[in-house]
Amino acid sequence: MSQMSLSLPTLLVRQERRLLSLLFVILLLLLLLVLPAPLFSLLSRSLADAQGQYVGLANFRAYLDSGALQRALGHSLWVAGLSTLIVISSAFAAAWALTRTRLPGRGWIRAALLLPILAPSLLPAISLIYLFGEQGLLKSWLAGQSIYGPLGIVMGSCFWTFPHALMILLTALSQADARHYEAAEVLRASSWRTFFCVTLPNARYGLVSAAFVVFILVFTDFGVPKVIGGNYDMLATDVYKQVIGQQRFEMGAVVSVLLLLPALLAFLADRWVQQRQAATLTARAVPFTPKPDRLRDLRGALLLTPPLLFILAVIGMAVYASLVRYWPYNLQLSLANYQFERLLGDGWGSYLNSLRLAGLTLLAGTSLVFLNAWLSQRTPQPKPLLGAFQLLALLPLAIPGMTLGLGYIFFFNHPDNPLNGLYGGMTLLVLCTLVHFYSVPHLNLLTAFKQLDSEFEAVGESLRASRAQILCRVTLPLSLPALLDVALYFFVNAMTTVSAVVFLYGPDSNLAAISVLNLDDAGQTAGAAAMAVCIMATCALAKLLHSLLGLYLVRRQGAWRGQA
Amino acid sequence: MQQNCGSRLQLQAIHKRFGHFTALDDIHLDIQPGELVCFLGPSGCGKTTLLRIIAGLEQQSSGRLLQGHRDISMLPPRQRDFGIVFQSYALFPNLSVQDNIAFGLRSLGQPKAQIKQRVDELLALIGLADQAGKYPAQLSGGQQQRVALARALAPAPGLLLLDEPLSALDARVRGHLRKEIRRLQQQLGVTSILVTHDQEEALTMADRVVVMNHGVIEQVGTPEQIYRQPATPFVAEFIGAMNFIDSPRQADGKVRLGATLLDMPQAASQGARVRLAFRPEEVQLLPRHSGGLPACIEQLEFLGTFLRARVRVAGLEPLLTVDVDPRSALHLHLHVGQQLDAHLPTVNLRCYAA
Ligand SMILES: Nc1ncnc2c1ncn2[C@@H]1O[C@H](COP(=O)(O)OP(=O)(O)OP(=O)(O)O)[C@@H](O)[C@H]1O
Ligand SMILES: [Mg+2]
Repeated sequence: MSQMSLSLPTLLVRQERRLLSLLFVILLLLLLLVLPAPLFSLLSRSLADAQGQYVGLANFRAYLDSGALQRALGHSLWVAGLSTLIVISSAFAAAWALTRTRLPGRGWIRAALLLPILAPSLLPAISLIYLFGEQGLLKSWLAGQSIYGPLGIVMGSCFWTFPHALMILLTALSQADARHYEAAEVLRASSWRTFFCVTLPNARYGLVSAAFVVFILVFTDFGVPKVIGGNYDMLATDVYKQVIGQQRFEMGAVVSVLLLLPALLAFLADRWVQQRQAATLTARAVPFTPKPDRLRDLRGALLLTPPLLFILAVIGMAVYASLVRYWPYNLQLSLANYQFERLLGDGWGSYLNSLRLAGLTLLAGTSLVFLNAWLSQRTPQPKPLLGAFQLLALLPLAIPGMTLGLGYIFFFNHPDNPLNGLYGGMTLLVLCTLVHFYSVPHLNLLTAFKQLDSEFEAVGESLRASRAQILCRVTLPLSLPALLDVALYFFVNAMTTVSAVVFLYGPDSNLAAISVLNLDDAGQTAGAAAMAVCIMATCALAKLLHSLLGLYLVRRQGAWRGQA
Repeated sequence: MQQNCGSRLQLQAIHKRFGHFTALDDIHLDIQPGELVCFLGPSGCGKTTLLRIIAGLEQQSSGRLLQGHRDISMLPPRQRDFGIVFQSYALFPNLSVQDNIAFGLRSLGQPKAQIKQRVDELLALIGLADQAGKYPAQLSGGQQQRVALARALAPAPGLLLLDEPLSALDARVRGHLRKEIRRLQQQLGVTSILVTHDQEEALTMADRVVVMNHGVIEQVGTPEQIYRQPATPFVAEFIGAMNFIDSPRQADGKVRLGATLLDMPQAASQGARVRLAFRPEEVQLLPRHSGGLPACIEQLEFLGTFLRARVRVAGLEPLLTVDVDPRSALHLHLHVGQQLDAHLPTVNLRCYAA
């Protein structure tokens, strides 16, 4: 009798668990479909000839024998290495100045230094052409060197990767423990010794992480070398040339596999380093606030000036160039370059497509990341599923956009794939962009969820609230700020991305960033600058909206967040 | 105030394994309606695991749980009848105090007016009627604790589970809340289980204490029983301080303690050697040549209401711990290096197998 009355509710709950696991499995399968499957297609394609016959490593051998690999790989490594060195040292100096001095207007300086993140990587390349190109404003500064080539690539790469490094280093430096500094002061350490014994060691994991991030970004970037690289071959541009220029897809696959390997290595190395950091993290730190010190402020100002000037100059030049009627002969200001109807077949169409892509990616990406993070963190799931999910969620960090995009061609354009109708359409662009930028929001939400008390669900159950009720009334409101960040991240990246989507857009789904590329190719550099500025302005607007919403949230939630 | 009727809870042969690790081994327990039982034990002994199994938040590997006449072994938490307070309180930070307390009532779908009345009742009960609109972040630790308690009690559960509810508070607040929780618990008559590793908390609050170690129950008893008649050396040592002296069993069944031969306190222990145990306050220090064992003070520690001395006694192996009340200490002019006589207790000795 009691057995009977028991079995029904038990069944229900078993079913809830099963339902949650089922949902998780479905989402995992979706992730498998949009990430490992295309990669596998790419890999198998690199081992086949143009007719699809398996040829083993013949393509790799051919590429190696042509000598192209050694050249392109050497170039990519050199450019990425040099850019990393420059970006890390200047970003560290800037982060130090922003966190360790009381320079007035630090907030504004910080915002200005982070501006490049809102621009497509094509923008600095175009701007540098106006600054240092054949008819450049400051051409004489280069003393006969050409901006087209490694010089331009490094400068352009430094511009757009700088904020990525700065953000990581700002976090690393602002986690400093005031007690260490007090100890150093009590022990009468000089400020240099304090720097080398306290500041630097504390930031070392941040430094390593930032270095890996910048290296991967530059190594796999395609926009900057495409526009300003001249004849200087790099791996990423080589993929593009093989596929778009020569239609040699299997060779494109070979190069993008080669592009993937160093990125994968850097990714694994970074993971390894970060895991060691987790073990060294100690108890709660006392936050550090710098004391007033004029001399140190001055030093900070000196350190901040070069990157600030460089970033403002590059952005300023792009805006100016987009407004000038006919560089350098007619410097009259006008909006002529923004009349895309005259320059592009679809006029503002590509820009509107980008907006659509960004909006859809924002919606789909934010919901998917939230749902997945919630399922993995806040519901009971079998361990193996969680492991697989964790791997899948972080993998995109290691996959270069070009590799991903090419994999999508092979997988979704395959005649046997029932999904091949998606090719060239908006859906596929959204999917690809979503996957490409999945990892950072995922980590973001994971952190947010980890900060929530792990017993909320247990309390909810004891109070007979359903999981959905806890989700809507507690978890969701509590993770709104993180969700806002995630939404902005998806939007901005979808607006600015080039590398993955360059293989996937169709006649009806051309994108603004691709238009920049095409306009530049067609010699319409001013139009390209105008489109790049449009993208950046849109992202800036989105950022502004994000800040306003953030402020609104603080005002609404301030009371219970304890900051009222 | 509506009176709760606490329910009886029976645990039968509960086992819990995490992989190859046995966290709980054959736990039997019978908790009476309205009783407050403390699970006491060192860190990692399985207290929280047992509590979570009772709540249904963790699934036992085998064994049965009965609440009243209901077999709840396989029921999910939502179908069991309990309220729970966690160490972290787990108050919903985005809900005000009254919304937190009303949370469980809302999910029961009670009418608004009734909810309001019940919340006010509980707020008055925990003495926070004037803080109803505040958010958890605006309350002190002790106040948050009381809100968590009220939230757990709101749906009038038959069983209240508390996992180290006071460990995040400072000593003064803790002392106050102990009384408060006990008062509420008795007033409502709700069967309660309190997990703690603080023996003082267990001894002052509980009707019965369950002492656990390495996943097994060492002893169940009233605080007095636990203190006076610890069933095992572990309990003896874990609760309060205890002196242990190993001694060979004499031919006539007696044991030797220092110079005296004693009757075996319990017949239970076997083997050639026994371990005798007595509390520090049961040893008496007297001036030299008053008929005890010669002793020398090696260390003195001032502990407020009494002095704790480490004493070397002739013929006994380990140093003895002796508690002396301040008056006798003054009388004896207690100081380190002093030669005294120690009187060891001859009655109420505990005896374990060595
Ligand atoms: N999910 C789990 N997986 C594996 N082992 C676990 C798990 N949960 C608990 N344990 C182990 O079971 C043992 C008992 O844990 P439990 O949390 O019940 O201890 P506790 O008595 O509450 O200790 P404390 O006083 O530190 O809270 C510990 O050794 C712990 O490591
Ligand atoms: Mg515990």
